[in-house]
Amino acid sequence: MVFHKGQMVRVLRRSTDESWEDYMDGLVGSRGIVTDPDSQINDPDSLIEVSLEDRGTFRLPQDCLEVLEPNP
Amino acid sequence: MSPSQCPVHETLLELKKIPADRRVVHPRGRRLIEEIATLVQDIVAARAGAEHLPCIDARVAELCAFMDDPAGVETGLWLKARLAEHGEVFRSHALDRNCAASVCDHLTPAPCQMACPAGIDVPTYLSLIALGHDAEAIEVIRRDNPLPWVCGLICTRPCEMMCVRARIDTPVSIKFLKAFAAERAMSWGNYHNPSETPATGRRVCVVGAGPGGLSAAYYLALHGHQVRVIEALPRAGGMILVGIPRYRLPSDIIDREVGKIEELGVEFRFNTRFGKDVELSSLRAEGFEAFFFAVGAHASFNLGIAGENDFLQVHGAVDFLRRVALGERRCPGKKVVVIGGGNVAIDAARTCLRLGSEQVTIAYRRTRKEMPADHEEVEQAEEEGVHFELLTVAVAVTGEGGKVRALRCLKAKLVTVPGSSRQSPKPVEGSDYDIAADAIISAIGQRIEQHWFDKVEGLTWTHRDTIRVNTITMETSLPGIFAAGDAVTGPATVIEAIGGGKRAAIAIDRFLAGIPQPKLPPVPVRHQRVACFDVPAHTKMALKRPEMPLLGIDRRRTTFQQVELGYSENQTREEARRCLRCDICRRCGKCVTICKEKMGVDALALGYLSFDHPHESDFRRTEQRCISCGACAANCPTGAMRIEDRGPDRVLSLCGTILSRQPLLYCGGCGAVIGTERYLAFIRSRLGALATTTPQEGDGPQCDVCARKKGHRGGATVMATS
Repeated sequence: MVFHKGQMVRVLRRSTDESWEDYMDGLVGSRGIVTDPDSQINDPDSLIEVSLEDRGTFRLPQDCLEVLEPNP
Repeated sequence: MSPSQCPVHETLLELKKIPADRRVVHPRGRRLIEEIATLVQDIVAARAGAEHLPCIDARVAELCAFMDDPAGVETGLWLKARLAEHGEVFRSHALDRNCAASVCDHLTPAPCQMACPAGIDVPTYLSLIALGHDAEAIEVIRRDNPLPWVCGLICTRPCEMMCVRARIDTPVSIKFLKAFAAERAMSWGNYHNPSETPATGRRVCVVGAGPGGLSAAYYLALHGHQVRVIEALPRAGGMILVGIPRYRLPSDIIDREVGKIEELGVEFRFNTRFGKDVELSSLRAEGFEAFFFAVGAHASFNLGIAGENDFLQVHGAVDFLRRVALGERRCPGKKVVVIGGGNVAIDAARTCLRLGSEQVTIAYRRTRKEMPADHEEVEQAEEEGVHFELLTVAVAVTGEGGKVRALRCLKAKLVTVPGSSRQSPKPVEGSDYDIAADAIISAIGQRIEQHWFDKVEGLTWTHRDTIRVNTITMETSLPGIFAAGDAVTGPATVIEAIGGGKRAAIAIDRFLAGIPQPKLPPVPVRHQRVACFDVPAHTKMALKRPEMPLLGIDRRRTTFQQVELGYSENQTREEARRCLRCDICRRCGKCVTICKEKMGVDALALGYLSFDHPHESDFRRTEQRCISCGACAANCPTGAMRIEDRGPDRVLSLCGTILSRQPLLYCGGCGAVIGTERYLAFIRSRLGALATTTPQEGDGPQCDVCARKKGHRGGATVMATS
């Protein structure tokens, strides 16, 4: 999945990535917008910045995210 | 804490139940509980001060010690446990005016503030800019971000992504307004540091003078700690100095803001490389008790193609941009090919043009749609003449006599790889061709130079070769050593580095004081609530985000002058007035529901209130339909919707936007206000046959009191308002 800036996404599940921390479990189910995808090479392994409604902005592994809108 | 519940709000609800269920019977116990409830109510309603929490603690202690009332003691112990368990949340509410769960209506930050990794109080500073108070706006910004001018030019603006105004037309131009205010405040000598706190005598070393390091140094200095910043480069700025070209961010701006940080007593040691010139042990021997690593990602990845290491004209983009930033002005070649599709590739290509390259080509292996670079940057590069070769895979650098002659490429097509939802470029056999070039720049990613940390034993790294930290405190695997910025996230944004630096500074301060670290990430702090100012509904709708004036194309292609010229003062003030003040209106939609479903009027076209399905919004519709009943304002939990009588009119406003202004009618008998014509008509329509059809000749409308005096004629009256 290639994420684009402005895409609406949802945190679908907890990630098995080592960057996932316990407090992030509380983010599952939150919706938000991709604010900074990997702007270098679109690496599917890189962490991307997502701003979640009422929760704040986090850099999350991509495997926990589901795209709600294909393209902004 | 449950994400949907607020312990402070829950405590208040529990306390309010106690008098009704009559468990606590002793008057003294009941009085104490009532006082505690009043204090908690103040906290929930954003009226609390620093003394509220100690007052609550004292009353809880008194309640626990009052043995004459066992039920009171039980309640006291429950409260004590609750305060201990959720102390941080209570403090966040009382001191930072923030409800992380967004339950307490008066304490919920706006979406833009929540979105900002540094947590800047955006609506407050936009309001101040709209009012022309630039210096105060900068003061507000610098509570969370010490580099407002820098961010005003290069921030990736997550705040604008979440801007609610975008659901109506376009987001407020938050970034550029910040730049305007910073420039104006600096120019007029109104860009000041906060007052200094007493020195603690504790020493902290910051490694790296990039945005993360500068942010940490600033907030540590404000806490009174003695800070030394060591930097491998000859100047401060890190990636914002050597990774971002001058046409986007002039270095004078970095220097001015760094100068302000230096004024706080922060010591800078340039040309000092951690791991080479200084070591952790030598710094510890000098008395440094805590360390903050913010070293950035300054190394380029290799292309891994034939010929890459055989020619001096093959450069890494980061190295190339660094040399140019530090003063080199040599043209890399007449025909340059930049490999990559990210922001760094665009920066490198545009820099080549400015250095005199005649033909600059970006070779990217996917399509334009997949390019990770910002669209605005791509557009500006195209305007300047950068050529794009898409679906192009570089396979070899060719040349002779030590000179590059071409980049050999293959055409590619995108195919779906089984098991992956992502399309990958697959080279087309036999499609190889050469792009003539005398210089090649690879921009396919950056990494951290890990080897400088070889002697820091016990520092753990992620599989991405970044420093592993706890992202709540930014603490590494080693006690007293913290890290943030690209060294932790990989190549990321300036504002994230600034936010990480601030977060680390707070954690370092707690570490030095021996205070336990928080268990949840920080939530933005609402510093103040600027009063709303009037904007007519038609103005609010008519104001459009201004286009950013750009430098002429010829000058752009030939010099490093700043491309974005900034807004005029008038444009800035007008743009700031477009803000919807989401720090006050929580977009709960109660006003719309009441107006449409309870009153049956449907005067509020506020489709932007919905995050998922925003629909038509038009503030002007209210003027045509509103009956000035005030039901929306009466049910607004935050005071965003207000109805008030101003002179001869009844005015309905939403966060200052004047939705409706209708002339008031006065009692023909006593002169008291009895509402507006539409409101009286609405009442008459509801009363139906009970209503009088026309006022009596010469009487005019009458209030209840006067109508009763003259004899009731059918109920077409309303209570007079005082």
